[in-house]
Amino acid sequence: MASHKEIVSSFIEGAPPGELTDVIADIKALTIHEPSLVKGLGPAFEKYNEEQFTTVKLPGGSQLVVVSEHSALGGGRYFDVESSTSFEFDHATRKASAVQSYVLEGAQSDLVKSTIKALSPYVKEHFPDAAYGAYPIEDDSKVAVIIVGNKYSPKNFWNGRWRSLYVFDPSTGILEGSVKVDVHYYEDGNVRLLTNKPVSQPVPSGTGAGIVREIATTEKKYQEELNRSFTNLSEGAFKGLRRQLPVTRQKIEWEKVASYRVGQDIGGGSSRR
Amino acid sequence: MSADPFDCALDLLRRLNPKHTASHLNGLIELAPDLTEDLLSAVDQPLKVRRCKQTGRDYLICDYNRDGDSYRSPWSNQFDPPLDESGLGGGAVPGERVRKMEIGANEAFDVYRELYYEGGVSSVYFWNLDDGFAGVVLLKKASPQGGSSEGVWDSIHVFEASERGRTSSYRLTSTVILSLATKGSLLGELDLSGNMTRQLEQDLPVENDESHIANIGRLVEDMELKMRNLLQEVYFGKAKDVVGNLRSIGSLSEGQRDRDAQKELIGSMAR
Repeated sequence: MASHKEIVSSFIEGAPPGELTDVIADIKALTIHEPSLVKGLGPAFEKYNEEQFTTVKLPGGSQLVVVSEHSALGGGRYFDVESSTSFEFDHATRKASAVQSYVLEGAQSDLVKSTIKALSPYVKEHFPDAAYGAYPIEDDSKVAVIIVGNKYSPKNFWNGRWRSLYVFDPSTGILEGSVKVDVHYYEDGNVRLLTNKPVSQPVPSGTGAGIVREIATTEKKYQEELNRSFTNLSEGAFKGLRRQLPVTRQKIEWEKVASYRVGQDIGGGSSRR
Repeated sequence: MSADPFDCALDLLRRLNPKHTASHLNGLIELAPDLTEDLLSAVDQPLKVRRCKQTGRDYLICDYNRDGDSYRSPWSNQFDPPLDESGLGGGAVPGERVRKMEIGANEAFDVYRELYYEGGVSSVYFWNLDDGFAGVVLLKKASPQGGSSEGVWDSIHVFEASERGRTSSYRLTSTVILSLATKGSLLGELDLSGNMTRQLEQDLPVENDESHIANIGRLVEDMELKMRNLLQEVYFGKAKDVVGNLRSIGSLSEGQRDRDAQKELIGSMAR
């Protein structure tokens, strides 16, 4: 049996894009007799923010920066290369503070900077509401690239998130990662789209511009494939589950429904599934 | 003022991944055991199939044909496992008149199932009310296994019929639970799952007990047509639109230039 802490942590982890505050409010109301439970949710909040690439505006800044395990400095601090800053992030309130200047150095710093330079125009051209970043990882041996786009429309009962994470390994020239889309629609119901597209592509040039060109191609192809799959599911699996009308193209004449059996092998529930 | 825990539990279930409603429900019951009964009767879950030992036909099980750990088959009217005869009343079965209607409704919806679902399983359960009767129409269909995509459709239509002489007032609450999943080398994995609920009330003329079945049949048929269109719109239209809102396949600045040019054109034509 899962402990209460595990249960509420799993609720936090499953919060749809833009709805963490609502989920926390529900949890608080349900565990009002156990206030220690919500107080102990720090690790769950941290996990959510780092996995979901939570974005935050720095005090006095206008651009969004990304919180992730790849931009973590430890001790609740994160860094952003483009603005050359580091900041403290409160995982419960999702606010940034204590901004300091942060100068990136090291073997991958040039590649990180050239990747960001190429990333900026790409993201602006394709994501209306997004944040991005690139970071040296694994002892400065690889470069992580993150794009996160959010659109929240709670008044219309939908929210969505696009998350891309790529890791480029300069020693092999391979770009690996995944694109994840999460859409929630909840007017008179609860409908969720969750996707995961693994990516593994060579980037022969090994340059920042080359990495971003590969990302742009991959994401365009992926989105086109995703759009096709909506059509395929609608025309295929969905149609196969329930017809819009019977083969006769007519609604049932319920007064005569008993006579439908005559001359037809309709079959019972046991004969076909 | 603090929010009502039951409402908060339902709000949470409306937000968390609908594919895992059963495990979220278990978690909520663990957190707030006093909500158990209310949650179990308020939250619809995918239906399970069982085979009737007497007739060999499949039927669907839910809270409405359950008595303890036993379920009543609509085809034989028998509980499985059998209830202890010496126990209280031998299980909740409808009265003679309502059971007769239940038999007719099961036959009618078996035809409906074949015409619309071309497979799957249907079950109808009725029970007596003080001023009439109530029931639930259940339909389930799963797409054949082994294809590149899979899907499961569950319909749960709960109704109450209040009889007032020559008319009857019907209150219908319908939920469809629809799960779709597909994968491919270009696509990766995609899961599109959820549920939607709609309600309606209607007064309809009644001549005899058979007209009840026809009335309920028409109400369910119209509701399912409406809900199928709604699901199509939300699952394939809305979801795709939101993805397009997150990321634009075309260039945003070019799109803006085109819109500006069009505005200018319309403006110049208006002058």
